[in-house]
Amino acid sequence: MNDSSVEQDGFRDAVRTWCRINVPAGWRQAQTGISDDEFVAFQRSWFATLRDAGYAVPHWPGEWGGGMSIAHQIVLFQELAAHDAPRLVLAFVGIHHAAATLLAAGTDEQRQRHLPAILQGEVWCQGFSEPDAGSDLAALSTKARRVADGYAVDGQKVWVSGAMHADWCLLLARTDPDLPKQAGLSYFLMDMKAPGIEVRPIRQATGESHFCEVFLNDVRIPAAHLVGEENAGWRVARATLSAERGMTMLELAERLGNGFRWLLDTCAQPRSDGERAIDSAAVQDRLAALETEITGLRCLCRDLVERIESGRAGPADASIAKLFYSELLQRMTDFGAEVSGLAAHTVLQKPRSSGWESGAWMLDFISSWEWTIPGGTSEIQRTIIGERGLGLPRGS
Amino acid sequence: MDFTEFHEELRSTAREVLAGNAGAPPGGGGAAGPPQDTQAEWRQFADLGWTGIEVPEALGGAGATFAEAAVLLQEMGRSVTSSPYLGTATHGVGTLNLLAAHPDRDVLLHDVATGRRRLAVPLTDVDGDPPEDVAPFRLQESGPGLRLHGRSMFVPDAPDADGLLIVAIDPDGRPVTVHLDADSAGLAVTPQPVLDLTRRFGAVVADGVEVGSESVLRFAGDPAKAVRLLWDRAALSIACDSLGLSEAMLTATVSYACSRAQFGRPIGSFQAVKHACANMLVKISVARSLLSCAVRQLVAVDDDRAAVLMAKSYVCTTAVEIAGSALQLHGGIGYTWDSGVHTYLKRAALNRSLFGSPVYYHKRLAERYVYRARRRVETEVPPE
Repeated sequence: MNDSSVEQDGFRDAVRTWCRINVPAGWRQAQTGISDDEFVAFQRSWFATLRDAGYAVPHWPGEWGGGMSIAHQIVLFQELAAHDAPRLVLAFVGIHHAAATLLAAGTDEQRQRHLPAILQGEVWCQGFSEPDAGSDLAALSTKARRVADGYAVDGQKVWVSGAMHADWCLLLARTDPDLPKQAGLSYFLMDMKAPGIEVRPIRQATGESHFCEVFLNDVRIPAAHLVGEENAGWRVARATLSAERGMTMLELAERLGNGFRWLLDTCAQPRSDGERAIDSAAVQDRLAALETEITGLRCLCRDLVERIESGRAGPADASIAKLFYSELLQRMTDFGAEVSGLAAHTVLQKPRSSGWESGAWMLDFISSWEWTIPGGTSEIQRTIIGERGLGLPRGS
Repeated sequence: MDFTEFHEELRSTAREVLAGNAGAPPGGGGAAGPPQDTQAEWRQFADLGWTGIEVPEALGGAGATFAEAAVLLQEMGRSVTSSPYLGTATHGVGTLNLLAAHPDRDVLLHDVATGRRRLAVPLTDVDGDPPEDVAPFRLQESGPGLRLHGRSMFVPDAPDADGLLIVAIDPDGRPVTVHLDADSAGLAVTPQPVLDLTRRFGAVVADGVEVGSESVLRFAGDPAKAVRLLWDRAALSIACDSLGLSEAMLTATVSYACSRAQFGRPIGSFQAVKHACANMLVKISVARSLLSCAVRQLVAVDDDRAAVLMAKSYVCTTAVEIAGSALQLHGGIGYTWDSGVHTYLKRAALNRSLFGSPVYYHKRLAERYVYRARRRVETEVPPE
């Protein structure tokens, strides 16, 4: 898995040393059962620490503060995971989705305004889904009407992760109701402090509430905050999706690789009778199958990112990675919950700022549906893979 | 150095040549049995530089690595080619390249490159599994000379081999390679018919074969390491074959799903069929990435070769699932002999068991977990 040229340049050692000094000791306990404000403060300070080291946005172009090679990024993500560093939860949409959109389709002015601001801690959320537009996203009905100096937006968004903390929102809205579905949508940057926005958190299956409903009532967006042409929003959203997905997957795959070590630790815990799951041949076989799939995912994501960088990515590649990752995460956390037995059910809270595999296996298992449903359900991904990846005919 | 372009060229040549030889119909098969003129095909492989792809250039070969051989192996899986390539060019040349310099070694390499000699390398025990103690044969001192004892089963291409390279433990306990003509006295090579008609296996039994010291070839480096590498090469070459046949099955299934109509529309437009095809592509994508990672590890002679174990078990397991889905999605036609889908399913299932089953590789991977758990306990400070 490792690239020998990178191994020789001392980067891994440098990241290791940095992690030993900078990863906050005992953050897992400190992040368990805390208030939203404490979570936000911790995320902001961890982001600043990473940014100051040049580790927050390694995937951005060099001119904006990134420029790290893929091989180095993999080492960075491996070491952050291996040292159990907190994840960037609050900054996630900003450094990935917002940045990918601005870099691919934004104006110079939009980039100048937002990319440095994201590095200073500007928080973003994504307002795509609506109550009647989930898998059929292009059916969305939030309207953006032309007014004197821009647009007036009315409608309702849902499943907006972190909306209560966001400064800005990536918004898809309908600018021309007469055009067929996809053709009438536009892509906006919406200031979350604008009048007319109401945010209501939704309580999720895990008991947490980071997803929100966002109600938009005559919200004004200046024309300068349109991304791409009017009515070209669907194209902007699709073009940025695969670039963004490859980069996020690189980190998530390495995290999952590290999560496997947590799973091994769980299996090595002696029960009261002294027996350990790891000594069972059946458990060993399933662990080996999981490790194999996780290694496969890591190789897949590495290949995917290399293809994206060289412009050779296939039309379904991002969907393949997302589908495989999300279902593998579900299988692994499911196995963690099964193998920990009833003890997994007594862990009532998981630390915030942790990965999708925190070792609180039952809660990890439940939250794995946050990967198989949002961003295109597994069923939608399979349809995309069949139609765009294999050229199978669309259903009538 | 970037071989991407060379690989693509090699791949497309191989695909064209092999498809022409098999006369494979788009349904994926036709290769229900081995082609008639195996001699002519072998000559063609030699002329194309395939038999000697890993033979050094000075000895008439292409001087390439296993990464290039892997391309050919994958294409031979795609066209379910029946040829002694595996035994001769993969195992035979792989073994010879690991030996210390010796005139006989060079003659053999040259003869393989020119297509003049076919080889087989018995590596497996009587169950076709990895032997417990390195090699399935023993060289024993007998008066002034040496005698070879041992048995190996499911040796690829043994029935057609002109010579055998037998990895054996010498009287000092070191693995060596014994080169014997197939018709040596005391050596029995018996064909082992299997359901997959595209493959030829033999049982190799040495019952006190007299071995002259000139036939004993030593490995260049650490012999135990060399034998491990041979095994890993054998395992990965099968994984390459399984990836190729998986890809062929997906292509055939997609093409069938686009042309076969039921309820007035192509069956590929039904979500159940579409999603089954998508699952095949996901597995193939993961298998391909895992395998290329493992091939890189093997070529780099990386000490950590966990990816090799993973690639063998994953690619070969998913290939059976993919060939099974292909048969299912072809419906009744898929179940006929003439469709040829069964050829792929049989070869995929055989590959899964050949050179170590998924259970065997999972066990080897799991040894690391148990070792890790033990080490953690040992390094913990004992309570006062």
